[in-house]
Amino acid sequence: MKRRIAHLDMDAFYASVELLRYPQLRGQPVVIGGRRLSRPDNNARAEDFARLRDYAGRGVVTTATYEARRFGIHSGMGIMKAAQLAPDAILLPADFDAYRHYSRLFKAAVARVAPLIEDRGIDEIYIDLSELPGDTEDIARDIKQSVREATGLSCSIGVSPNKLLSKICSELDKPDGLTILQAEDIQTRIWPLPANRINGIGPKAADKLAGLGIHSIAELAAADLGLLQAHFGGSYAAWLHAAAHGRDERPVVTSSEPKSVSRETTFERDLHPRLNRSELSRIFTDLCMRVADDLARKNVAGRTVGIKLRYEDFQTVTRDSTLPDPVIDGAQIRRAAGECLRRVPLDKRIRLLGVRIGSLCPRSEAVASTDAATQGELDFSE
Amino acid sequence: MHLLTTTRDAILAPLQSVAGIVEKRHTLPILSNVLIEKHGEQLTMLATDIEIQIRTTTAGDLGGSDASLTVGARKLQDILRALPDSAEVNLTLDDKRLTVKAGKSRFALQTLPAADYPRMNLPEGEGTRFQVTQKTFKRLLAQVSYAMAQQDIRYYLNGLLVIVDGGELRMVATDGHRLAYAAAPIEADLPRTEVILPRKTVMELARQLGDADDALEVVLAGNQSVFRFGPIELVSKLIDGKFPDYERVIPQNHPTTITFDRAPLLSALSRVAILTSDKFRGVRLVLEDGLLRIVSSNNEQEEAQEELEIDYHGDALDIGFNVTYLLDVLNNVSHEQIEWHLADGNSSALITVPGNAHFKYVVMPMRI
Repeated sequence: MKRRIAHLDMDAFYASVELLRYPQLRGQPVVIGGRRLSRPDNNARAEDFARLRDYAGRGVVTTATYEARRFGIHSGMGIMKAAQLAPDAILLPADFDAYRHYSRLFKAAVARVAPLIEDRGIDEIYIDLSELPGDTEDIARDIKQSVREATGLSCSIGVSPNKLLSKICSELDKPDGLTILQAEDIQTRIWPLPANRINGIGPKAADKLAGLGIHSIAELAAADLGLLQAHFGGSYAAWLHAAAHGRDERPVVTSSEPKSVSRETTFERDLHPRLNRSELSRIFTDLCMRVADDLARKNVAGRTVGIKLRYEDFQTVTRDSTLPDPVIDGAQIRRAAGECLRRVPLDKRIRLLGVRIGSLCPRSEAVASTDAATQGELDFSE
Repeated sequence: MHLLTTTRDAILAPLQSVAGIVEKRHTLPILSNVLIEKHGEQLTMLATDIEIQIRTTTAGDLGGSDASLTVGARKLQDILRALPDSAEVNLTLDDKRLTVKAGKSRFALQTLPAADYPRMNLPEGEGTRFQVTQKTFKRLLAQVSYAMAQQDIRYYLNGLLVIVDGGELRMVATDGHRLAYAAAPIEADLPRTEVILPRKTVMELARQLGDADDALEVVLAGNQSVFRFGPIELVSKLIDGKFPDYERVIPQNHPTTITFDRAPLLSALSRVAILTSDKFRGVRLVLEDGLLRIVSSNNEQEEAQEELEIDYHGDALDIGFNVTYLLDVLNNVSHEQIEWHLADGNSSALITVPGNAHFKYVVMPMRI
């Protein structure tokens, strides 16, 4: 049977939720970001809101309204940098509780129309429409209408035979878009797009492709598989080739286990590994303890412990190691993460530190392996 | 272009000595390949995983033209192995394809250019050089390598410490629970040099070194080591890290020493080990007047017990150990007898060989 897979992406989600609360800001450039801002009253006048020009700090833009995006502002940009582009844009602090609330509302609204949903985060989902009766466009319009009624928000939907193409399609007609693509439309509508529109071709792969003279998806589709294999390795090359031809057999996964848990923090000021050793050590231990709490809450243990470091020059490094047995407690995590830390250069100031636990398994598996606890350790210490 | 015609084994033997280090999965596709250089009557094969490189050069009556190429190591090895022992094999290279012909069999394989194959530079400078018999080096490896850690976060334990000092060669390995030490004299007078060989290098050397008195030449220089033996040259990176001070954990003055015949102790432990589980390998050693009882049980309430008569006349002692750590040492020393030095149930045990200061094994007990 022919599959009909939809990708639904909420339009400028965080910013749109804020505009529900502050309708007086509609039509203005609004940026969400920063932590310590006070939140204006719901009926505050536009001139009472903080402006980007007033901001001093190290926060980054979480979302920007389409009006703000016109100035070149995008997610992940430093707020100070955004202020140079649009000093008069309005700045609001993020309110993740509100975003999660609206996230639940829109997903519930979609589920009433089409129940087979794969959760892809706070503001996007895949929906399998294959089994639903009726015309694809009608179903998609029903979903959009249902989301609008439940939340007052707009979304963009792409429908195609698979997830890969739908993800591309939902971007084509934003905001409030609806794009339906048949397999026979790939050459006319997908191939002219740049290769990095394919989810899975990141900046590095895109650069490498550009180096080979491959810019569009059409050029990627026409590329010699041997050439791709020589530059990207067998499996990624095969995937690139399949993706460019619009082939993707991944099912819509309606239930999912968490893959990893992580905690990270950006410091108030950059810290030096030697000079601020004790402060860093305290923060590091604290992150490990919070990750251990997260593991406990999700009732899982993990075998892979990793760290993430961002230096003052924004260079980011990660290191991880996989342990013989899953760990659950903060001290075990701290020890393993400490060993990871020994594998990164520590000669520059650090602005961000993170701890991540992967290869998760049920907590019972960790508790059952008690051998390590009773085996004595050789004491090499001085 | 005809490359060579020779017996199957003249190609397979050198291929097998280099192909063992080729990894199945790679980010760099060419690393699944082996580099083959045919020059006159010389055949050179080279493989690498970037950390280790093995090269072997053999000579024989090959015929054909000179060429260099790289081809999938595992595929070529599987093909040659599957051919009859007596097969005469013919290799030709045409338009980047290597054709292997033998009797009525014919295989056309893709090649990648030899110029693209990564090669490790040999270390510069003199470094520390010495010669030792393959037999001695292999024996020391066997006596300690089983104690290496595997995928430990303390990456420097996933390898084997090699020390040369004056006229002595020492090896140490530990996983933090037990430690093995072995030494042997060498004909040299060298400044003290310490390196950590990666686990994979250790395994490869243990596999390839012979049991005869043939020479092994070792060079330790910079962050690399080179091992030359027979037709083989193995270049390996070293683990950059500080190995723990092993001398600190070798106990000096344990009050009790018991001498065991190795074989009966090994047999008794092997039998008791049957009723331990994969998750819990603990066995209890209970020392009483003139008697050692070895006891194990599992969580299905099954129990095993062995008794050995021993020359022990002190207070009763009850110590738990991971049986694997005991079997490992008894399986890997070849002496008739071993000496077991003990203090109490919380202290490490030291296992040595009577009248021989060149072997030591330290193992921490388990709380059971």
